[in-house]
Amino acid sequence: MDKKLGVYICSGCSIGDALDTDKLAQVAQKEYKAPVCRVHSFLCGKEGVELIHKDLQEGSVDSVVIAACSPRVKAEAFALDPCMVQERVNLREHVAWCQKPKDEDTQMMAEDYLRMGIVKAQKMEPLEPVSDEVSKAILVVGGGVTGLTAALEAAAAGYEVVLVEKQAQLGGFVGTLKSRFPRQAPYTEMEPADLADQIQAATYHPKIKVYTSTAITQTSGQPGQFDVTLLKDGDTIVHRVGAIVMATGWKPYDASKLGHLGYGLTPDVVTNVEFENMAAAGPLKRPSDGKAVESVLFVQCAGSRDQAHLPYCSSVCCMATLKHSEYVHQQNADAKVYIIYKDMRTPGQYEKYYAKVQNHPGTFLTKGEVDGVDKAAGGKLAVRVKDTLLGESIQVVVDLVVLATGMVPNSADGEAIRQLHDAQAKVLRNESDTQRQEAEKKAEELKAHEGTEILHLTYRQGPDLPLLRYGFPDSHFVCFPYETRRTGIYAAGTVRAPMDSGHAQEDALGAAMKAIQSTELAAQGQAVHPRSRDMSFPSFFLQRCTQCKRCTEECPFGTLDEDEKGTPKPNPYRCRRCGICMGACPERIISFKNYSVDMIASQIKAIEVPEEDEEKPRVLVFMCENDAYPALDIAGMNRIQYDPSVRIIPLRCLGSMNIVWIADALSGGIDGVMLVGCKYGDDYQCHFAKGSELANRRLENVKETLQRLQLESERIQVTQLAINEYGKLPVLINEFMDKIREIGPNPYKGF
Amino acid sequence: MAEPILLTPDTEFIKNVLASGGGDLKKCFQCATCSVACTLSPEDSPFPRKQMILAQWGLKDKLLADPALWLCHNCGDCTTLCPRGAKPGNVLGALRNQAIQHFAAPSCLSRMATSPKAWPLLFVPGIVVFGALALWGPKEITEPREFANIFPLHVLEPIFFAVSGLVLLAFAMGLFKFIKGLRSSGADGSILAGIIPAAVEIMTHKRFKECGKEKNRFWGHLLTLWGFAGLALMGTVVGIGTMAGFMHTPLAWTNPWKIFANVCAAVVLVGGLILLVDRLADSEKRKATTYFDWSFLLILVGIVSTGIAAELLRTGQLVTAMYTVYFVHLVLIFALFLFAPYTKFAHMAYRTVAMAATRKRT
Repeated sequence: MDKKLGVYICSGCSIGDALDTDKLAQVAQKEYKAPVCRVHSFLCGKEGVELIHKDLQEGSVDSVVIAACSPRVKAEAFALDPCMVQERVNLREHVAWCQKPKDEDTQMMAEDYLRMGIVKAQKMEPLEPVSDEVSKAILVVGGGVTGLTAALEAAAAGYEVVLVEKQAQLGGFVGTLKSRFPRQAPYTEMEPADLADQIQAATYHPKIKVYTSTAITQTSGQPGQFDVTLLKDGDTIVHRVGAIVMATGWKPYDASKLGHLGYGLTPDVVTNVEFENMAAAGPLKRPSDGKAVESVLFVQCAGSRDQAHLPYCSSVCCMATLKHSEYVHQQNADAKVYIIYKDMRTPGQYEKYYAKVQNHPGTFLTKGEVDGVDKAAGGKLAVRVKDTLLGESIQVVVDLVVLATGMVPNSADGEAIRQLHDAQAKVLRNESDTQRQEAEKKAEELKAHEGTEILHLTYRQGPDLPLLRYGFPDSHFVCFPYETRRTGIYAAGTVRAPMDSGHAQEDALGAAMKAIQSTELAAQGQAVHPRSRDMSFPSFFLQRCTQCKRCTEECPFGTLDEDEKGTPKPNPYRCRRCGICMGACPERIISFKNYSVDMIASQIKAIEVPEEDEEKPRVLVFMCENDAYPALDIAGMNRIQYDPSVRIIPLRCLGSMNIVWIADALSGGIDGVMLVGCKYGDDYQCHFAKGSELANRRLENVKETLQRLQLESERIQVTQLAINEYGKLPVLINEFMDKIREIGPNPYKGF
Repeated sequence: MAEPILLTPDTEFIKNVLASGGGDLKKCFQCATCSVACTLSPEDSPFPRKQMILAQWGLKDKLLADPALWLCHNCGDCTTLCPRGAKPGNVLGALRNQAIQHFAAPSCLSRMATSPKAWPLLFVPGIVVFGALALWGPKEITEPREFANIFPLHVLEPIFFAVSGLVLLAFAMGLFKFIKGLRSSGADGSILAGIIPAAVEIMTHKRFKECGKEKNRFWGHLLTLWGFAGLALMGTVVGIGTMAGFMHTPLAWTNPWKIFANVCAAVVLVGGLILLVDRLADSEKRKATTYFDWSFLLILVGIVSTGIAAELLRTGQLVTAMYTVYFVHLVLIFALFLFAPYTKFAHMAYRTVAMAATRKRT
């Protein structure tokens, strides 16, 4: 089907001052025979937009190229039918605002961008809306304070909820407390830990189905179509849900590893959770002999912020200890309470509670490090503390030592479990002695993960959420905190990050909202964050698939399962449309209707590469459209100039870069290729978690190819950049251009 | 590494500090803003951050032997800057009070002198002694009337010299314990060698001047100290002079000693009033000022004002009023001297010794 292409060029916002728009129009009309090409001085205005709509209504145009400002602005003004073929060419931020006006190079740049836009539009196909039957019900895993809140909030918003709890009762950890520390003004009084109201509300809510003493035995499917198998009292129940909130909470750090702090020495060394249970059960007594407790020493950060144990801060132990200190003094005002801390961490208004508890004459605090705990006369314990603020090492004799241990998430390492299962399978296959031994070793290493499954996902990449650090599920703590690497599954509360119950409740709201969003977007066939509302889907030309499994392995979101042979089985609703699979595929059989290997390759071919003697080098820049591309927009807004020899191609994610493009560019005479992606690693900023890292890895292979072609490997450069580093980007471009000029022109020019 | 020392917080002591002007002690969270802000804090052993935690932990013996308590001149910079409102300046003031009570002997007198409920008892000894003297003592009426008619000098002077002897003995006992404490806390400067430079520093108010704010307190304290020193000198000279017979009271208005005495009295009165007004005008300071401070300051101001009033009444020969006011004057002086080792008066001695013991050898 031939497209009726309409090209609309805006000359406003100083585009017209910098460029010859008539010459641009000629590119569209003469080179590409666009049936309609119009120049308007205020295209996003009412009159300009009507121009486009009129052509569309009359049927003279069915595909639109808008050459105006950045696609990141004026989205509402230029909003067209989302399924229609449409492309934006950035003449404003990337040309007129950052290049010399009325200059030959500037005009060449604009013309190239227009060509690139037109060829891409020519290759695009209209999107077909997907409308499957989806469930909008939400599964909440865990009936603690986070799960209860998420369930009640989702139900209040009108969504069916299935609430699953492993224990016999709802309430989780908070349900076992004697009191909660203050979470509201004036932040000085303990609060009742009673969750009865919430439990009752959830139990009798018409939209919430509560399962206690229940385990999940399988979760299959995809957002909008998860089938969850529950096991309760030997009965199997299957529920179809649209999204999942994972609120499995935490467990205390294993105190048996804290022998150096006296745990296990006598029953009078307890953890903070044990102390809480003692207080909730009745008057505090020495566990060893039932004698009255007249002095207690709290060891803060017991195994926390300690590389040998938990390297992180659990954020609640300081407040919990302050509360425990109040328990002691409520029972016996003359009791002595010692608190040995690394730092007291009571952020925000919690400081007021710290000040209040500290004010008791019988509370003694010092920074310090517990050096040892020994038995002392009278069934007491002698605690040695060094590096104190008192200026010397001290010893205190107390009735009870409480170790303020931290939080360990109740998560399962999906990827590790899969590796374990793979290794076990390999052992059984017993293909060769070395292979078997290696697999046995691997299985032994990962033994601890055996049977830890929680969600039992049927995903190819493993049965549970991928973890990032310290056992917490991978998510981006700033940009998309609840989003895990499994689309439609949202982690909330202490399984996501250490937090107190107040923050966990807030977290529950966020995750419930994301879960609702996920089902609603699935119902419309649209992507979730970060490409929210994107309606494209990857399609696989499976006849040419070689079952190399790169796509199934590299998708950060576990979108693709496999059949027995290793052929990918897409689950479109799990997909976030990043195109990482497209970049991975050596056969180039994965494409979107509006984003494909062929489209980008055509764009590269559309760039007019000047002859060698013109001394006008050309450099192609692939930019991540989440951080680097907007950063260059901001540079344009700030009128920062850079070398006019570069041609920018935005990519959905740097991970969608297929190395064939680099070969295409260099063999077409392009002098160098720059890739600008997001920071990767543990503190990654990549919106698709792994994309930037994968691009970097693929590039290692490219550099070898270059050397074979006898091209300098310096012609390719990959950089990581954050959106706020817009000042750095033009400098990077200029420096790279200097380097390319120094290396000299690409010898393949003109071939 | 040294053996860790066994700590047992003295909760009674903490409660005493909290009750005697250091009520915000427990709010300190050890940020050490105070030690940084203090202009007097020495670099090698800064205060008052460490004194705050020692006090929070009730480590009485360690704290009361700490010379840092006396190096503080209570300018209040730390209190102003404390982010937690722990008022370290006030806490150190309270700790000084505790130190005086702790070292003074005998402790029953100390308890009496510092108990607000026992305030009338401060004046009982004076009332008894001088009341007895007025009622049953030898009387020799002259015209115009003199104070010696009823309170003859040859009786008064021995009484005061005897009291002074007792007081010096009590001070000596207190200071002996204090110096032992200072030595244990590491202040090893020679006190004999340091006492003169320390006294010079005190008389010039060098450290007071370094205090960030509080110009009023500088002048108030300076005037009070100088005037008081002058009066003490003058009293001793006149006492010795009359007993030896080469001086006779009342001295003539034009007598240089008389002029000196009147100037000194005026200076103390002005200084004392500045200090009084300064405390009364500032609500924060008012709150931080305890009986321990008020009793000392009021007795001091009372002594000079009754002294001046008695002098004027004598000049006017208003007989009844003149003897009554003079009686009050004597009772107040007696109270000041007799209880000097147990009241704020004693800070003079402790501060001088502490400053001497911590002087850096150059």
